[in-house]
Amino acid sequence: MDLWEAIRGRRSVRSFLDRPVTRETIERLLEAATWAPSGGNAQTWRFVVVMDPAEIRKIKIVSPGLLGDPAAVIAVCQDLVQARAKGGNLGETFLAPVDAAMATQNLLLAAYAEGLGTCTIASFHRRGVSRLLKMREGVEPILLISLGYPAESPPAPARRQEEVFIFGANRG
Amino acid sequence: MDKARLEQAVFELVGYMVTSGRNLLDETPLYGPFRLVDAASRLILILGKEGIASDRLAAMQEEIDSGKYCVMNSKQEFTSFLDSLVDALVDYAGFEAGGDIKEQQ
Repeated sequence: MDLWEAIRGRRSVRSFLDRPVTRETIERLLEAATWAPSGGNAQTWRFVVVMDPAEIRKIKIVSPGLLGDPAAVIAVCQDLVQARAKGGNLGETFLAPVDAAMATQNLLLAAYAEGLGTCTIASFHRRGVSRLLKMREGVEPILLISLGYPAESPPAPARRQEEVFIFGANRG
Repeated sequence: MDKARLEQAVFELVGYMVTSGRNLLDETPLYGPFRLVDAASRLILILGKEGIASDRLAAMQEEIDSGKYCVMNSKQEFTSFLDSLVDALVDYAGFEAGGDIKEQQ
């Protein structure tokens, strides 16, 4: 798929078909995620994949932003202990979430190219999700991604360009 | 719906509402009204599976679900949507409980 087609075509999907996504497909998406840049090449991200519907329902209880019934949920996490060890305070507090976001965007575009719908979710209770996923100390979920074959094609929201593109200094 | 499935559905709704209560301390203010109307829709869904259904409840759920995501577009659009829901409530308030909407319009 053409890159621009994926960039412009991807939508946040919140309604999914009752159709499984194979582990092999998800592994391709995870590979795409790990090709994202990371500050200082830290690569301290972790990806926890949940495909069991019963487990997904549990995660939904503490994740108000997780809507619909996706085939899989991917918790994009960061090992904050490693992030601090590699990047200091900047690594832990700034680079770790930024890196997670860049990896997430790679995954979203790759998923779209596979015909999948996704939604990035920040509305979840971090400690609640960590406990449900039995994450070890120091590893924290930054974002959740719901994933499945889309049951909807949301229209593209308008893109604001006025005052967004700034060329030259001292105009922000 | 048997008792265990009903309890599970209610527990999940309680989870949605309680976690929303906590998270909304830090989230986009517009998500508060969104979660409220979405919880109303979820409640109607649960009641419907339990056999407690009516035309006006079904109509309210349909109106909520068809427009709730406009919260992502603009505050003005979402506000108009919420106003339209209240208008619908007023329209249906005088209807006989459990009655046929078309007969009463």
